[in-house]
Amino acid sequence: MSDLDRAIEQLRACRLIPESQVRELCYKARELLIEEGNVVSVDAPVTICGDIHGQFHDLMELFRVGGDVPDTNYLFMGDFVDRGFYSLESFLLLLCLKVRYPDRITLIRGNHESRQITTVYGFYDECIRKYGSANVWRYCCEVFDYLALGAIVLGASSELEPSGSNANDLTQSTIAVDDGELETEVLNSRGEVTMSSYRPRQRASSDVDTDTQDILPPRDISAAPSQTSAPTRTGAPGTGASGDGNGSSMTSRTGAVLCVHGGLSPLIDSVDKIRLIDRKQEVPHEGAMCDLLWSDPDEIEGWGLSPRGAGFLFGGDIVKQFNHQNGLSLIARAHQLVMEGYKEMFDGGIVTVWSAPNYCYRCGNVAAILELGEDTSNGGTIARSNGEYGRSNGLSGPSSVSSPGRRYRVFEAAAQDTRGMPAKKPVADYFL
Amino acid sequence: MAAPQIPNLNLLRRGRGRGRGSSSSSSSSDAPENSQAGRVTGKDRIVQSTDGDASVSRLSAVQLGYLNDPFARVLTPPNSAQRRLPIINRGTYVRTVAIDQLVDRFLNDPSSTGSHCKKQIISLGAGSDTRVFRLFARRDYSSRLIYHEIDFAVNTSAKIRTIRSTPQLQRGLGIEETKDNVSISDAGDALHSPSYHIHPCDLRSLKADPSITESLLGIDRGLPTLLISECCLIYLLPSEAVQVLTFFTEHLFGSPQGSSEKGELQRGCANTVPLGLILYEPIRPNDAFGRTMVSNLATRGIQLQTLHKYSSLGAQRVRLLEQGFRAGQAAADIDFIWEWWVSEEEKERVAGLEMLDEMEEWKLLAQHYCVSWGWRDEDDSAVFDGWKTVPAQSGD
Repeated sequence: MSDLDRAIEQLRACRLIPESQVRELCYKARELLIEEGNVVSVDAPVTICGDIHGQFHDLMELFRVGGDVPDTNYLFMGDFVDRGFYSLESFLLLLCLKVRYPDRITLIRGNHESRQITTVYGFYDECIRKYGSANVWRYCCEVFDYLALGAIVLGASSELEPSGSNANDLTQSTIAVDDGELETEVLNSRGEVTMSSYRPRQRASSDVDTDTQDILPPRDISAAPSQTSAPTRTGAPGTGASGDGNGSSMTSRTGAVLCVHGGLSPLIDSVDKIRLIDRKQEVPHEGAMCDLLWSDPDEIEGWGLSPRGAGFLFGGDIVKQFNHQNGLSLIARAHQLVMEGYKEMFDGGIVTVWSAPNYCYRCGNVAAILELGEDTSNGGTIARSNGEYGRSNGLSGPSSVSSPGRRYRVFEAAAQDTRGMPAKKPVADYFL
Repeated sequence: MAAPQIPNLNLLRRGRGRGRGSSSSSSSSDAPENSQAGRVTGKDRIVQSTDGDASVSRLSAVQLGYLNDPFARVLTPPNSAQRRLPIINRGTYVRTVAIDQLVDRFLNDPSSTGSHCKKQIISLGAGSDTRVFRLFARRDYSSRLIYHEIDFAVNTSAKIRTIRSTPQLQRGLGIEETKDNVSISDAGDALHSPSYHIHPCDLRSLKADPSITESLLGIDRGLPTLLISECCLIYLLPSEAVQVLTFFTEHLFGSPQGSSEKGELQRGCANTVPLGLILYEPIRPNDAFGRTMVSNLATRGIQLQTLHKYSSLGAQRVRLLEQGFRAGQAAADIDFIWEWWVSEEEKERVAGLEMLDEMEEWKLLAQHYCVSWGWRDEDDSAVFDGWKTVPAQSGD
């Protein structure tokens, strides 16, 4: 067993590795990350995760729900550290996995991967507390500077394969399967489907209605009327979504998915502009790089000032325009607590994925991860809609890309005492 | 002024240790000489300790520039200074300025010109609160305000020790022990001066009993009075919380000064003094955040006992009405107060102090705390006119 595998094993048990090993790990990680562009290309299938915030036991729960590395291909959208009590264990484990399986895990930068923010929100203090000096904090911050700013997911399927272990199970809703593609599905942590929505196979335009089935209590994806119930099924994490290869998606293709921690910037009108940023630095207080990590979508028109004090608010028109110009079907981002774990906005043009359940041990929210399946309809050839304007195929312009099938796995905070891992009793602050 | 006689403070402790849990065997008719320490329950100790938590939060907000409070440092236990997270600092800021605004409007009502219009504030569970010092530091208030604080003896003793050892605080209050204008009880848990009184008293012992009324030295039953409960009554049983307020609204201020217990009959008549109440406490225990709050605090031994009874803005307004604050009842959560009471300029200043990393979390937290305020002003004396224009939140 290599040192790295041993370190992974140790960190999985929520035990820290020696400072010298952290230093070596961070050095290796930097060598790896320096080769990545500002916008990493990732092929579907992939499981997209939002904020972790040092909630180590919940990260273990995430791996339980979403599948282990390297079996599942993961993309983490930043904010690994701060707020929770195990930022070190969480980040170092992810970093070890990155070094061990560089093609199976992608890490991009969040606004908390910053020297300034970590001194206020806990990671710095945790490093001092656990290692007795700021050395490890410094090594980690140097890694932060090399993290990519975004990722583009290519080759996602527009249709989910129903997550049942037997896809031809006669008990599932035949109406839905005959008439529509399974577009979204929500599963709870036991793998039971709680909601699914279909879109008609014949696509008249990009704005088609979806039919939603509420099986268990609904999530807020769509207000479409419910249809007949289907039974609960269990799906294998990380692998469930794949194109059915029956030609149904011949007339449309799935646009690329841009993943970024915060959102858009008024200074960035194309994915290529992100590629031009000199990212290897502390997160600036303003400018394009800051905006990508700090901005939030909001129900406004155009741009607005952010109440956070950094980044901007951007409206549905901005998202629509950006997606259209860049041949994107979806922007996946994190950065904002959503009580239901995920939240789609602007006709599904953007989704917030939040992966820290019971955030700060106080908020009472559930968490989610987003699985995008692989489109196998082209014999595995990926339609290169990689965010470069104008490189669409002749059949359908950038406006007619279809959104990817989206499977959300929702999970709750881990029961800490059942895992035999050290768990300091969290004390959340209140006003007393 | 001659030093007022120190009352037998043990009288106030009667009724302590009533029937929760194992302490029920010691009935309230026990000899008043019973030592207090022996009767403080673990639960009480935890409630008392919440004061330290609040003062650490206050000092954090002061040191980062949210609040200007020169008294915060000396009234925070030494070596307990700790930087709070930005979300907590902002909450401490909003809570403080919200109550400050209501207090200012009470003290500055249009009718209060000239020196004859004295006013009185009674702060329940005040602990190490600095408000009294901040108010007396203002020349326009110092001559016409009488300020009372009521808290557990363990908390009042700590505060009095701090005052004794801190000339800055004595100067702020205009008291000097050598000048004989202040008296401190032998136990060191009660302080009386012309305009500032600290009463060591378990609020649960307050009841319509002449001996208790007399022991609350210096309370002027004829002055326009403001009651403040800042995260205090919520720790009592619902029936106790009502009893405490009723003690003030009906017993102490329900009848004209000087009347005997027969004053009960005159309750509600026109010559009751103007009386107001400000409450600050958590609300909304029934959503995901609220449920988590209740269970998290429970693991620290803190029970928010009236939370479910006064669980919403609406319930707080009804509570105020039921306590006789007929002239007005209003409430707003901290999120609303930040949005609507704090000027844009000030908001910008505060937002610039620290970056708030998570707005949704702030809103969530801020929506679970509320300020409610109610008043009665049956002479139409305009004492609470300033409260009529304070933006209040409608709905629950």
